[in-house]
Amino acid sequence: MTLAFDRLRKQYGQVVAIDDVTASFAPGLIHGVIGPNGAGKSTLINMTAGSYSVSSGSITLDGKRLDTLKKYQIANSGVARTYQNIRLFDQMTVLENLEVCFYPVDVAGTWKEVMWPPYASARRERRREKCMEILRFFDLQGYADSDAGSLPYGRQRMLEIARALVPNPRVLLLDEPAAGLNHHETAELTARLAAQRLPDRITIIVEHDMDLVMSLCDNIIVMHHGKLLFQGTPAEVQASPDVQLAYLGTANDIDDIRAAAQDRRAQLGIRARRRS
Amino acid sequence: MSVAETLTAARPRSGRTVSFLFLAIAITLIVATPFLPNYYVRVINSLLIYILLGIGLNIVIGYAGLLDLGFVAFYAVGAYSYALLASPQLDLHWPFLLILLVAACLGAATGILLGIPVLRLRGDYLAIVTLGFGEIIRIIINNMDWLTGGPKGIPRLDKASILGIQVARPIDFFWLLLVTVLVVGMLVWRLERSILGKAWAAIREDQDAARGIGINTTNAKLAAFATSATIGSIAGAIFAASQRFVSPESFTLQESVLIVLMIVIGGIGNILGIVAGAAILMLLPEVLREFAEWRILFLGLLMIFLIIVRPAGIVPRSFGPDKLIRRLFGK
Repeated sequence: MTLAFDRLRKQYGQVVAIDDVTASFAPGLIHGVIGPNGAGKSTLINMTAGSYSVSSGSITLDGKRLDTLKKYQIANSGVARTYQNIRLFDQMTVLENLEVCFYPVDVAGTWKEVMWPPYASARRERRREKCMEILRFFDLQGYADSDAGSLPYGRQRMLEIARALVPNPRVLLLDEPAAGLNHHETAELTARLAAQRLPDRITIIVEHDMDLVMSLCDNIIVMHHGKLLFQGTPAEVQASPDVQLAYLGTANDIDDIRAAAQDRRAQLGIRARRRS
Repeated sequence: MSVAETLTAARPRSGRTVSFLFLAIAITLIVATPFLPNYYVRVINSLLIYILLGIGLNIVIGYAGLLDLGFVAFYAVGAYSYALLASPQLDLHWPFLLILLVAACLGAATGILLGIPVLRLRGDYLAIVTLGFGEIIRIIINNMDWLTGGPKGIPRLDKASILGIQVARPIDFFWLLLVTVLVVGMLVWRLERSILGKAWAAIREDQDAARGIGINTTNAKLAAFATSATIGSIAGAIFAASQRFVSPESFTLQESVLIVLMIVIGGIGNILGIVAGAAILMLLPEVLREFAEWRILFLGLLMIFLIIVRPAGIVPRSFGPDKLIRRLFGK
């Protein structure tokens, strides 16, 4: 029972963003997706969550096709996500940001909530309790009644992850959760994510912070030019010559870069001389 | 004490004074209305109708964040429902409450009818299409002479009666409208606080992220359009019953714009704001009756002034009915 990509492909005109990626993600583990900029990491997340359509191939969760569903249906199948650029409901309070996640469960009772006050307050209380529990886990309880948009950047990142955890998702997709966080906050984040490693949950993290990835992830996928380059444990990834090549380039590449840099310096030198 | 502390310390007390003032004016007005001449009662009635319309439109604009400029269409649907079902036009004389129910259902249906094609539209595009929709309904009414009497309208509508009690004098309509506004306001406020209301807010803030947490935005938006249209239609039916005459002239684009203005000036997304906005926009022309030709100018200046001084409206979203109650009776 896993999340699986089968020959997944995403194409924009002639540009192939994801090129026949086949991979599966076991529950109970935290999976890291790394790779140079433009390797297609975020595209994978966006396709899984239904934000982007799939050009060909398939995404299945426990054998059920996800890629044919609408975005909200994918969410209701147990897939939750965060965004590379934080996307909170800025003018709603921190608590409301979490409470609204109960919509799929509670919407059928809307009429009853409007017409029958005791039912409404019971529902509200239940939502509030569950959300406060999650806020406490992220140490955000003090902000419960503040507008989400007014929170400091680091807290907003935490809140977005908290929001994703409200429905207790099977699949948790995190798109660069540590981007813009300082060392202290990243350490905090790492600890909290480690505590959310549930036996049934598939967590996928796209991240550039290698300390976080190497210390947190059990399994790492390396993407390069839209292709799956390597899959293995952190130690295997670090030892892999292919990965080093993708990240650092070859010895020839380095010579090329040196030559290019020298050219550039020479040009600038000419320009500088002309100016004087 | 720092400046900030002084401000926060002063705010609850002044808020409380304002709240009491608000309540005092409302109660005085309600108590005094039966003793006012009919002309003033009619002004207050039209104020109540506009509050009702504002509460309805606010669901779409204020809660769900969808700019609807064709709201008057639903008002027309309600008004013509009454006009056709309780007049010599088709020689139908249905009871008022039944027509109210029919108008509500027709309103909801029209709301969904408008909602479906505009689901994908947002912002300016939505505004233009809804504006067109409002005009289409008015033009249809204007041209279906055989049914609606065209530009001449439908005269001699029945006197309304509720369970045998005749509702005909302005003061009768005052009580009817007051009860309707209170009941509808209460229900809509509870709707705003329900899970659906929160979903509307999420759609307003970030539609895509709302889908990402499992909100079926199609259904939630259609619910907003339908509820809003139902209220507009009910307001229309009561309006027709009180005027005992309808014509397309009452349902122009200008009416839609006026209701939007009420919401924006009063406080978008807040029922209390709508009451304030309606009061200003309805009573101002009465107060300025002497300066008829300057009225629009005054209105323009007022809008500029308010947008600079109170960009979130006279009563901002954060000061809802629950806050008012807490300020009045709580600590």
